[in-house]
Amino acid sequence: MSLNRSQAPSFNLINSLVFPHYENILLSNGIPFYQLKAGTEPVIRLDFVFTAGMIHQAKKGQAFFTASMLSEGTKTKSAQALADALDYYGSYFQVRSNTEDTVATLYCLDKHLENCLSIFIEALSESVFPKKELEIQKKNNIQKLLISLKKNNYLCRKGFYRHLLGEGHPYASFSEKQDIEAIIIDDLKAFHQKYILNGLNYIMLSGNYSLHSTKIISSTVENSGLKVGALEPLNILAKSNLGKHFYEKADSVQSAIKIGKITINRQHPNFRKLQFLNLIFGGYFGSRLMKNIREDKGLTYGIYATLEPFKELGVWCIDSDINTKNRQVGIEEIYKEMKLLRTELINNDEFETAKNYYLGSFLRSLDGPFSIADRLKIIIDNSLPNDYYPEFVGVLNKTTPEELMKIAQEYFTEENLVEMVVGQK
Amino acid sequence: MIQYNEFRLSNGLQVIHHEDPSTQLCVLNVLYKVGSRNENPDHTGFAHLFEHLMFGGSINVPEFDTELQAAGGESNAFTSNDITNYYITLPANNIETGFWLESDRMLSLDFNQKSLDVQKNVVIEEFKERYLNQPYGDIWLKILPLAYQKHPYNWATIGKNIEHIEASNLEQVKAFFENFYAPENAILVVAGNIGLEKTKALCQKWFEPIPARKTIIPPYLQEPKQTEARREHVYEDVPVNLILKAYKMGGRMDNDYFDADLLSDILGAGKSSRFFNKLVKELGLFSELDTYISGDVDPGLFLIEGKLMKDVDFETAEAAILKELEFLKSEGVTKVELEKVQNKTETNIHFGDVNVLNRAMKLAFAAFLGDISLVNTEVGSYLQVTTKSLQEVAKNMFREENCCTLYYHAKP
Repeated sequence: MSLNRSQAPSFNLINSLVFPHYENILLSNGIPFYQLKAGTEPVIRLDFVFTAGMIHQAKKGQAFFTASMLSEGTKTKSAQALADALDYYGSYFQVRSNTEDTVATLYCLDKHLENCLSIFIEALSESVFPKKELEIQKKNNIQKLLISLKKNNYLCRKGFYRHLLGEGHPYASFSEKQDIEAIIIDDLKAFHQKYILNGLNYIMLSGNYSLHSTKIISSTVENSGLKVGALEPLNILAKSNLGKHFYEKADSVQSAIKIGKITINRQHPNFRKLQFLNLIFGGYFGSRLMKNIREDKGLTYGIYATLEPFKELGVWCIDSDINTKNRQVGIEEIYKEMKLLRTELINNDEFETAKNYYLGSFLRSLDGPFSIADRLKIIIDNSLPNDYYPEFVGVLNKTTPEELMKIAQEYFTEENLVEMVVGQK
Repeated sequence: MIQYNEFRLSNGLQVIHHEDPSTQLCVLNVLYKVGSRNENPDHTGFAHLFEHLMFGGSINVPEFDTELQAAGGESNAFTSNDITNYYITLPANNIETGFWLESDRMLSLDFNQKSLDVQKNVVIEEFKERYLNQPYGDIWLKILPLAYQKHPYNWATIGKNIEHIEASNLEQVKAFFENFYAPENAILVVAGNIGLEKTKALCQKWFEPIPARKTIIPPYLQEPKQTEARREHVYEDVPVNLILKAYKMGGRMDNDYFDADLLSDILGAGKSSRFFNKLVKELGLFSELDTYISGDVDPGLFLIEGKLMKDVDFETAEAAILKELEFLKSEGVTKVELEKVQNKTETNIHFGDVNVLNRAMKLAFAAFLGDISLVNTEVGSYLQVTTKSLQEVAKNMFREENCCTLYYHAKP
């Protein structure tokens, strides 16, 4: 029997998703301790999530430098002694300063946790912020900023957020050279005291950990002096400067483009449908933008539309680097694709393909301990129910092309847009 | 420990099966034994351009990505100096869709001018986005011709220049496919939630009917031993000076490979490393200073890349690097330093193995190197490194007549 290669093999639709089981216990000092056991390799990740984001800082750079200085020395250990001790056990200590929180993470083999944990916690709770180390970090970061300022993409992102939200808005916090120069030790100590020592929101352990590890984490954190706390962010209203903006950068062979607007976030009942519509528009390789502007016209290496759901608001943004000569064509096509979604129903094949792909992407993101931990963080941070991801199956199965057209008419309009272009005139 | 089975189809396709019942996914990874080192020096960038064309539809399937997405799958690929590697991830019960798609594009592509023209433009935009429109984006394009005078590592996988990409035509595409994209020149890894019998049956159904072709790997020149220091100065519109030193080291299967890899960690990885503590923090000469190895199959490069602080000149910066290297050669490394980087490597390997796709890629690459068991002996190879062997390798490698240096000046 010969094989008919034109005929696609039958496949199954994903009709259920499962969010893996996890534990949430409350430590004696009130700190929630989430535990997600998954995977077969003997590796673990331990996250400490502090309510200490850029939205909490009183001064630009405060959250960032506090985070990056946590590994620079404690009462009893120098920066190098800390690094030597953690590196010796093959572990990684990473502190990320984000818009809405600071996350300190320890990655290590389960067998080494006991040796690393107390050093990791000492770095968080007993940092002394030596002046000499801060001066080095400031100098190095000013150099990095000089390099960023040569990147079209960085300039475009900065311009986009500033025009969309306003110069002083906490979600548009980009440090200038003078901001970095103005940071002093007392800024870091104050931020550390208020938001790190007293702002631990929760801890999360993921991977293939042992029972022993959960026990020593519990007891070490209970005795660490770190206190639970979830402080309110500084609430500042957006002051948008809507419309088209251009920043000239001579000799650019490509232009960086960002087009977008303020939109809804996860708390809004339409958000998941908007996510699905955005996927079709510019969220995957088979999206309208990708198929038209890359795969049909070859104007770019990549084009994406993203939703950034912050706690206070959402930002929708289309992002690409397009060759200078065809920049205008590219921009017009973006608006044309937005309009098409508002005015014409998505055909059934495209709708079904996108839906199946989307469900497949959830299946992938719920596979493997650290990918699941990332989803769990979204659930915790946004107070979502445990079946938030599994429920996507039902939500998508109930959604129709008609509904998506309505969503497009509401959210993909040309009103209230910021269009930022950085490149050659 | 990664468990695997291996078998070969009658057309020469090597298949490796790796079962993992803990995942809901399945992976198909196809490695073709062709990279930019197999290109004609007058048509560089071709292997990578070809990788793009593999998504432009095959003989019986007009739209590769759409069919895959409809079954909930995702796919991507990369090209290196040595290989081109394609991968598909699907819900485990839809894996046959992957077999259908991968086997059809191994059977034959739908060669068409439109796809070629569009992908040439896409790759040219990729060239600009990654190499030309970024500060320091072209250092790789500059250091390779300095380091390799004969060997095809002379050019980057993206190609020597945009003109080479523009000049590609459909005849070259067909000939390249015919020769290199043959079953006997490929390695298929099937990994995830799938048993051996099912894997065999699907391989026999979809891949075995593909006729064998006679792949000829054109011989290419090996790089002669470098005997004198090479230096080049360039002047660009960047904010600060950058120095890039490239020392010649062995290839992936050579004895010094694991030593060189660990030396790069001792010198430059993380906040406990030598360079960071001495040259970045104590002396304040660099804002960033990294060390890494190119990791190629043929003899490769050990690289030191540093951005100089504004008020530091090249002489001072380079002298400080050389002093550290001399100290390493004369005094060696401590036992604690060695244990540290060995422990780090062990952690890295375990973290890498968490993901079934990574395991599949690792299996394919080990098979390409000629020994699948390398996936499990790798940790041991790092543990066999001694302080003595590290010092020997350092002494042999860190000589200026074995080095190419790029001075990337910020135009005043």
